[in-house]
Amino acid sequence: METYYYSQFNHAVVHVALFDDVTNAAAIRSRIVQAARNLGVDGNTEREAVNFAFIDARLISSSLHLQTAIYQALLSEAQGQLRTKTVHSEILWTMNPTNNITEAIRRYGVSDESTTLVVVRVDVSDTPDLQRRMCDIVQGCMVPFQALGQMTDWSIIKKHYKLYSESALKEVQGNLDRERSIIDNIVVSSVAMKNVMT
Amino acid sequence: MLSSLSSKPPTQQLLQSADLVSQGAEAAIYKAYLRQFPTSGHGVDDAAFEASEPVLLKHRFHKHYRHPSLDASLTRQRIAGEARALMRCMRSGVTVPGIRMVDVNEGVLGIEWIDGKSVRQLLPGGAELDEINELEEVDEIHENGAADPIGDYGVSGGRTVHMLIGLYSSSVDALMNMIGVEIAKMHLADIIHGDLTTSNMMLRKQTSDLVLIDFGLAYHSTLVEDKAVDLYVLERAFASTHPDSEPLFSEVLNAYEKRMGKRWLPIKKRLDDVRLRGRKRSMVG
Repeated sequence: METYYYSQFNHAVVHVALFDDVTNAAAIRSRIVQAARNLGVDGNTEREAVNFAFIDARLISSSLHLQTAIYQALLSEAQGQLRTKTVHSEILWTMNPTNNITEAIRRYGVSDESTTLVVVRVDVSDTPDLQRRMCDIVQGCMVPFQALGQMTDWSIIKKHYKLYSESALKEVQGNLDRERSIIDNIVVSSVAMKNVMT
Repeated sequence: MLSSLSSKPPTQQLLQSADLVSQGAEAAIYKAYLRQFPTSGHGVDDAAFEASEPVLLKHRFHKHYRHPSLDASLTRQRIAGEARALMRCMRSGVTVPGIRMVDVNEGVLGIEWIDGKSVRQLLPGGAELDEINELEEVDEIHENGAADPIGDYGVSGGRTVHMLIGLYSSSVDALMNMIGVEIAKMHLADIIHGDLTTSNMMLRKQTSDLVLIDFGLAYHSTLVEDKAVDLYVLERAFASTHPDSEPLFSEVLNAYEKRMGKRWLPIKKRLDDVRLRGRKRSMVG
């Protein structure tokens, strides 16, 4: 698990963890949906229990990509300009190139087939036991962030960002490392400038 | 103790903690870190100490001489325009800094920090005008025992020692070549930089890429005229900052010509026209 500190956002603390070999993705997804529907008192506790952003790790090109999405989501929250209901769903929305919230959650959120997940929690202060609480929800193996590189599915990213015919990539055809660093640069920049894209 | 600080908008707090790099009439440039290292005292895992990359913040500050609502909309437009120009360049394979954060409300654009020197500092005549960095540069030369600022950036490959003045070595040629190629790539994507100078190009230290910077005046255009004027502006910049730089600029044009192919000829003709009349078209009528 990694922890990021942001003094400019009222000393927000953001915890991120990467899970591999996740076996209960479908259960996590239905649990989030259930928690959102349940309006009673136990709904509150259940919502708090799943109050994380669950992101499909295949769609994240680098830690910088994740950090940039978190930053822009924190910024929108601080300015009262969230486009979605929570800062966690805003992270998913920021990552998707279009403005469609449902599409963002379907693409970047946990799906029934996910086996790798990034879990993000935005907090106002350091909450104890977060690691345990993440592990309570996700059945899988928490791995260091260096493993993210092997999980990225570059072809889906290229599809979502419509990068197949870009001249930047044609130029470096065959050089996989160069191609990936160019894609990462475009994806990170797109996330950062999402609110001025159109 | 932090309550007074905390009430400020986050980007203003970020600017407060940042180091001012340069100050212009339109904007101020800062070096900043988007997140902090954990405060010492409690148990911290190693990952948190992983060095976070600095970013460059371009703050288009409030212009008091403009009406506030006009000011806000102009700032917003320009931030958005610069970000979009950078994105178009990136997608077309032009080497430009990546975007790291955008806050249109405060007028701040955060881009990748490029570790390196501007072409102006690397060429003869440019460095001496740079008061702040000069001392640092002299130190570096003493430390390395070599006086070839470009060679240190890995462009030449060889360790040939040159005097700062009057060097027309392969390393300078290689640098001019890279400039021509990057501008051609940009023009092939129909992006006009609008302010091509040797200060707005940087040589990155680690990879020795040539990076075009400052797209604040960039725009989209397919016109031959705009591309010719873009080149003319650079030619003037070369002539005014670097003494005896005609061979340098013709090297830039050579590389540009090669890259542009058959699209070079109309631009060449127009560049000759522009040289006769200057940057501005006839404004009569």
